[in-house]
Amino acid sequence: MAALIHLENLTKHYQMGETMVRALDGVELQIQPGEFVAITGASGSGKSTMMHLLGCLDRPTTGAYWLDGELVSAMTDRQLAVIRNRKIGFVFQTFNLIQRTSALDNVSIPLFYARVTRVAELARRALDRVGLGPRASHAPSELSGGECQRVAIARAIVNEPKIILADEPTGNLDTRTGKQIMDIFHELHQSGVTIIVVTHEMSVALQAERIIRMRDGKIVEDRPVDRAEKTRGEEATEPATPDREPSPPMARRAKV
Amino acid sequence: MFFFRIMIMSFRSLWVHPLRSVLATLGVIIGVAAVVAAMAILEGMSARFATGFESMGSNKLYIMPAVQRRGHRTVGVFDSLKLADADAILKECNAIRTAIPQVMNAGLVKYFSKNTNASILGSTEQYCKVNSHEVAEGEFINRSDVQTGASVAVLGANVKRELFGGRPALGERIKITGAMGARGFTVIGVMEAKGNVAFTDVDKQIIVPVTTAMDKLYGLKAVSAIVAEAVSPDDAKIDEAKAQIKKLLRARHKIRAGKPDDFQVQAQKEFVKQFAMFQNIFGVVLWSIAGISLVVGGIGIMNIMLVAVTERTREIGVRMAMGAQRIDVMQQFLIEASVVSFLGGALGVLMGWGMAGMIENLTRLFETITTAWAVAMALGMATFTGIISGLYPAWKASRLDPVEALRYE
Repeated sequence: MAALIHLENLTKHYQMGETMVRALDGVELQIQPGEFVAITGASGSGKSTMMHLLGCLDRPTTGAYWLDGELVSAMTDRQLAVIRNRKIGFVFQTFNLIQRTSALDNVSIPLFYARVTRVAELARRALDRVGLGPRASHAPSELSGGECQRVAIARAIVNEPKIILADEPTGNLDTRTGKQIMDIFHELHQSGVTIIVVTHEMSVALQAERIIRMRDGKIVEDRPVDRAEKTRGEEATEPATPDREPSPPMARRAKV
Repeated sequence: MFFFRIMIMSFRSLWVHPLRSVLATLGVIIGVAAVVAAMAILEGMSARFATGFESMGSNKLYIMPAVQRRGHRTVGVFDSLKLADADAILKECNAIRTAIPQVMNAGLVKYFSKNTNASILGSTEQYCKVNSHEVAEGEFINRSDVQTGASVAVLGANVKRELFGGRPALGERIKITGAMGARGFTVIGVMEAKGNVAFTDVDKQIIVPVTTAMDKLYGLKAVSAIVAEAVSPDDAKIDEAKAQIKKLLRARHKIRAGKPDDFQVQAQKEFVKQFAMFQNIFGVVLWSIAGISLVVGGIGIMNIMLVAVTERTREIGVRMAMGAQRIDVMQQFLIEASVVSFLGGALGVLMGWGMAGMIENLTRLFETITTAWAVAMALGMATFTGIISGLYPAWKASRLDPVEALRYE
């Protein structure tokens, strides 16, 4: 089976004043279709850069990146935009919804840039998939943090991408809401979507099938998650007192 | 469809800061309002002058004393034209078919207890024919009235109504007060209502024999103008008539070669040309003002768009992550800039239209005419300004690095 993502000796260097920062330093990686991968590491380990490169938001300094058989590391801005639109769905820590427009309009954005015609229908279907159909006309400011993140997921899946790239998707949510979001990722994973979660929380990373740990721009660990670990990870995200009705999520909400 | 969606998006983002959007477009609003109002006035004036000139007749020549304004002083000779000059012009210039000496002045008119102000026109029996203005009742002054300086008067339609109302005026005695005191006149006729002829309201006018006006009302030795008609409205004939008049009057006034004329002859056609020139100058001034205010307006739009791009850096990053091409981002901000300036233009049109209406009501000089062309032109210019001043901010937005834009706080 051909790898969905294939990185070959990928490097990314930044010039910061006098010093050269090696954000990525010769990364080799293959991700197969349908995998659920967590990328972890401390801040400064290069996981954000990794995410930007995997998401085709940036180009590597050297090395090659094949995505779904295409050499994206050599593509133009225009081609990269098309790849992002068709093959990748982004989920951000701060949701990054566009304020003052409805959930439905937010979900419609990728369709809009894909020049799709049945926008409202497809957007509504995506919202239904994350269970937010009834709140389609609400603005982000009228939604809870968890709902906002679900809108963001609907937006990420609306163009039926091959990959979902999630950057600390539960970072701004309380444990219980975070679990709901992870459940949606599991469902999507079941339906065959490749999911890559970038996180520094071990409890989140343990819910994936495979953990890639980074340090100083290099992959230092790449291993499957065994079942026992997984159960521990899930338990860690359970609310402390599951029987009691939890208080409404008080998530911090970032504005775009 | 795609364009339409961007339009809706623009409306939304403008609506977020309504006051800011209005302030940003103030320059465009004022510029467009000024253009629309000035165009309406100019159009109205043109229409008014066109009918004014038509009513004057195209073969007319106006002979007036050579008076010029120098600053606040009027210099030149006021009393160079004599009654006899008119007769001489008629007799000796074969390119002239009529020549009427005229005196125009203001006077207070009284009939028992009723008073009114009227303009007093001293003229001759030729007046009716030259001005195509006939008596409605009674009769007009005749040749012998002019020769003898009879105290007879023909009333304009409005003057008659103001003094007599519905009662008959013929044969009644009225008093006209000129520079030499009050004089009694017998009303012998009433003119038909005609409105404006050559920019004078002839219905507010009383016509008396020119000799009577000069001798008995104002004590004048000279006439204020001689209105002459050339035998034909051809340019050649008009020029010939002018040349004949000049030669004759220089001889009669004993002006030596090399000295300037003490009179001026102007063909009605030249007035039209002068007016057309005035209109052009006015137009140039108008468009300059419009240009300047649109430049100012454009700076306002550019400023607000730069602020918008900075404010929405993160949104731009998100859109790029979602697959927006650089050209999509550019298009979005360009459309937003043109929408804001088009709306500003629309507001400006309404304001300008209102301003023109107000000026019309205040001055009551002419009707203002707001043409569809002027409105379209103003809106087009506003939108064009929006696009031009939106170019740089939109380009800046489209050049953002998606990673940097997403990180922007």
